[in-house]
Amino acid sequence: MAWLDNHLLTAVVFLPLLWALVGLLVPGGDKSAGARKAWTLLGSFATFGLSFLLYDRFQAGGAEFQLMEKAPWIEAMGISYSLGVDGISLWLMLLTTFLTPIVILASFTAVEERQKEYYFLLLALETAMLGAFVATDVFLFYVFWEAMLIPMYFLVGIWGGKDRIYAAMKFFLYTLVGSLLMLVAIFYLAYQHKLQFGTYSTALVDLYNLRLPGEGWLSVQAILFLAFSLAFAIKVPLFPLHTWLPDAHVQAPTAGSVILAGVLLKMGGYGFIRLAFPLFPQAVAQYQVAFMILAAIAIVYGAWVATVQPDIKKLVAYSSVSHMGYVVLGLFSLNAIGATGAIYQMLNHGISTGGLFLLVGMIYERRHTREIKDFGGITKVMPLFAVAFMIVTLSSVALPGTNGFVGEFLILLGAWKTSPGLAAISALGVIFGAVYMLWMFQRVMFGPLDKEENKKLKDLSFREVLVLLPLIVAIFAMGVAPNFFFRKMESSVDSFLRRAQRAAVVTPVAANTIEGKN
Amino acid sequence: METANHLIRPEFLSLGADQIHALMPYFVAFAGCLVTLLLSVIRSVNPKWPVLLGTVATCVAASVLSIEQIREPSLSLFNGMMVSDSFSAFFNTVFLATAGMTALASFRYLDRERLQHTEYYVLLLFSALGMMLMTSALDLIVVFIALEIMSLAVYVLVGFRRADRRSNEAAMKYFILGSAASAVFLYGSALLYGATGSLNLREILAVLQSHPEGMSPIFTLGSWLVLLGFLFKVASVPFHMWMPDVYEGAPVPVTGFMTTGLKAAAFATLVRLFLALGFGKAVASTLQQHVHDILWVVAVLTMLVGNVVALTQTNLKRMLAYSSIAHTGYLLVGLLAGGGSDQGFSAVVMYLTVYAIMNLGAFVVLSVLAEQGDTGLNLHDLSGLARRRPWIAFALAVFLFSMAGIPPTAGFAAKYLVFYSAIQAGEIWLVVLGVLCSAISVYYYLRVMVYMYMKEPVGSAAPSRVSFWAASVVAAMVVLTLQVGILPARLVHAAKKAVTSL
Repeated sequence: MAWLDNHLLTAVVFLPLLWALVGLLVPGGDKSAGARKAWTLLGSFATFGLSFLLYDRFQAGGAEFQLMEKAPWIEAMGISYSLGVDGISLWLMLLTTFLTPIVILASFTAVEERQKEYYFLLLALETAMLGAFVATDVFLFYVFWEAMLIPMYFLVGIWGGKDRIYAAMKFFLYTLVGSLLMLVAIFYLAYQHKLQFGTYSTALVDLYNLRLPGEGWLSVQAILFLAFSLAFAIKVPLFPLHTWLPDAHVQAPTAGSVILAGVLLKMGGYGFIRLAFPLFPQAVAQYQVAFMILAAIAIVYGAWVATVQPDIKKLVAYSSVSHMGYVVLGLFSLNAIGATGAIYQMLNHGISTGGLFLLVGMIYERRHTREIKDFGGITKVMPLFAVAFMIVTLSSVALPGTNGFVGEFLILLGAWKTSPGLAAISALGVIFGAVYMLWMFQRVMFGPLDKEENKKLKDLSFREVLVLLPLIVAIFAMGVAPNFFFRKMESSVDSFLRRAQRAAVVTPVAANTIEGKN
Repeated sequence: METANHLIRPEFLSLGADQIHALMPYFVAFAGCLVTLLLSVIRSVNPKWPVLLGTVATCVAASVLSIEQIREPSLSLFNGMMVSDSFSAFFNTVFLATAGMTALASFRYLDRERLQHTEYYVLLLFSALGMMLMTSALDLIVVFIALEIMSLAVYVLVGFRRADRRSNEAAMKYFILGSAASAVFLYGSALLYGATGSLNLREILAVLQSHPEGMSPIFTLGSWLVLLGFLFKVASVPFHMWMPDVYEGAPVPVTGFMTTGLKAAAFATLVRLFLALGFGKAVASTLQQHVHDILWVVAVLTMLVGNVVALTQTNLKRMLAYSSIAHTGYLLVGLLAGGGSDQGFSAVVMYLTVYAIMNLGAFVVLSVLAEQGDTGLNLHDLSGLARRRPWIAFALAVFLFSMAGIPPTAGFAAKYLVFYSAIQAGEIWLVVLGVLCSAISVYYYLRVMVYMYMKEPVGSAAPSRVSFWAASVVAAMVVLTLQVGILPARLVHAAKKAVTSL
């Protein structure tokens, strides 16, 4: 147990992968399907349990990064295996470990082919996601960030819908192009550390101390910031870089969509918080308004496009563009209210959009269609489904009492302080959000039950209730008791803002080294 | 006798114990060549087993000796014409390992194609010996002779499928163009001799240093031609036209050997030339600027052309040939940056090693997948491979992800080091172009994945059995690719040590 005390983060991160590797010993084929499912579910629960230990150990208001681990990795280049968790990544980790068992449970009937690979990839993906949230070395972060693409690529490409190959390819290439420019910026930062401090290091806490010239639109800071932002904005995704998202979300299997929306998009927001903002404070101030405008466009445009979608899953996908626009808006407000709201909204979006994708997946399994016009009056045959769908929909439209309200309210409040005009425009998104969600809900669930096929639909099974129940509990818990969640977040948000707002002084030395190195 | 002693300077002939020790890997390799050559004429039993065993034993013994020498101090040999140092020992290990594994992995292939076993193994050994000599040479004539030993053996290997017209064509093309490149290199050496009065790299460096105002045009032309000869050998754009045809026509394992061993040898020699001539150390700065500019353009073209043309290939072998051109481009970036970065040329050394590992693995997989006459390597032949042969598909996926530079594979670590050292040398635009090119490359690597994992299997009957040896080579390469990808520190360290010995 002493080992576990000192390496809790390593344990949480690598438990799923280890579990998956052992799981490979279960022979393939249908006979052992039950054993495989049970084993995988157990593994995801074990990780969830372990992450609770993490929650317990984390001290609110303590050190910035806690439960730190550090081991030399590639000493010649100052790269270390260093992990640490703060109040922001703690919640994102919990979100990840919370969603994984849910999607595994949800896949039991949806995935019938090549289950061995499927469950292996899901758990491997969990390791990569958790790793990216706790890495405090940019090299390590990049490794997890990219490694995440591989399992997701296969999940979409093998178990996806009709255009799965196109979608998987687009997802991979889109994300990769952004990441590679970030990699160039990482090289530059790492070398700057050597020039300014004389030692090699890629540790985040060291890189935060770099002094980079930040005056003007195309300063060194600005260019590096844009390189990082491109990677994160693609992942979030921010308008106009969102075009991969509808393809990937729609084609992915249900579990893939839930993980994509629930966790992978959060990587973008988390990247802004952990890397782009604290590393390049002056550039953030420079580009603040530009990004807020893009976010406002994403909110309104995403909502409009969602309104006209004939396919439920595509509608949910575009609603993600809109909802993640709020996250970017909140972050770039650069005040405590906006930032807290943005982080809260990331968690909300993971739960409510994850829930929506699960519900869409359940109805798709029954009807093998997702066209809104094929439904109508479903409430009559599937009352349980209707209740769950209603709750998740209301959470998505940010009804007070649900989690969505807290996040969006805080974000708009924070944005108002910075730019009342943009806050007002973005607030329209809340109305449009209600329009497309409720209109869709009405067309699918109410009205006459006039399609023959829909009359025989079965209501939710016990397993499906188990899948949805935790999400519904979370929706209300986060809606009525946000302070419980804020408590371990507050000091991290403060230190995030302190770094993001610090006025970087450009020393002449740094300016020279950069001029000379061209 | 008296007169003979006057003519021959004693230090030419007498070898000290330490020198003999340093030369042991070469002796062992050469003895192995002779013994296997003798064994191959046995008629009482089928000689293919003894020759294979002899070849592998030679490679193992010589590489064990080489590994031991990595730690030893450098030692000048044959009056400064050769040197034994960590760098040569490191690469000797790479060459011998490559040759040995190629021999192992070729056994079943040769059986299937009904080719002569014995000559094949002997030629592999000879060409490995040529590579070893080339990277330890400090004299342009020795470089040339070693280059020819290596190349001649490979010309024959390329044309080894005698009954196949493509193989013949490839051998002919490679022979004629390769000889032209050798001639260019030789002409350049002659000009260098005319300009400096010596062929020894150290003496040329001394002349360079004593003329800080710059060298004569003859010297410049000579150094360009030497560089050109090598750029041709490594198939950099615009000297790459021979390469896809040769790679496609050659027997699959030979192609693997060429992309790994031959490329590593040529680049290792270039690194030695660059370092021996003080590239990047502010010697003869106008020449250096020229070489820098030439390499810059060639590197960009090589990355771009290699990757873009690879996009349109539907034959796996040809696709890997073009991707090999692209990898030459990344290596040129490392070569360009080597002089100006703290990592020095260790990035190139690391990349060469990693490239050898993953490419050798990929080509062994290809030789397993190939059907009679090297057919069956089109993309659609791979449809559903993951269902039919999951382990083979997994291995190929690992190698391709590694070539694409996706973590946690060795290819990522190597690419990281190369581009990082280029940033240190101030080559920001080159790096931006490089990463964009490698983004292009991801598309064609992933397309293979699409066929293997995301398409339904096509009709093919029961797959041919994989030989135990080929399977072990592939497994070893997969493990190495992942191991170096996850824990690269040791290889980075070894590469650095090899380079600092120069």
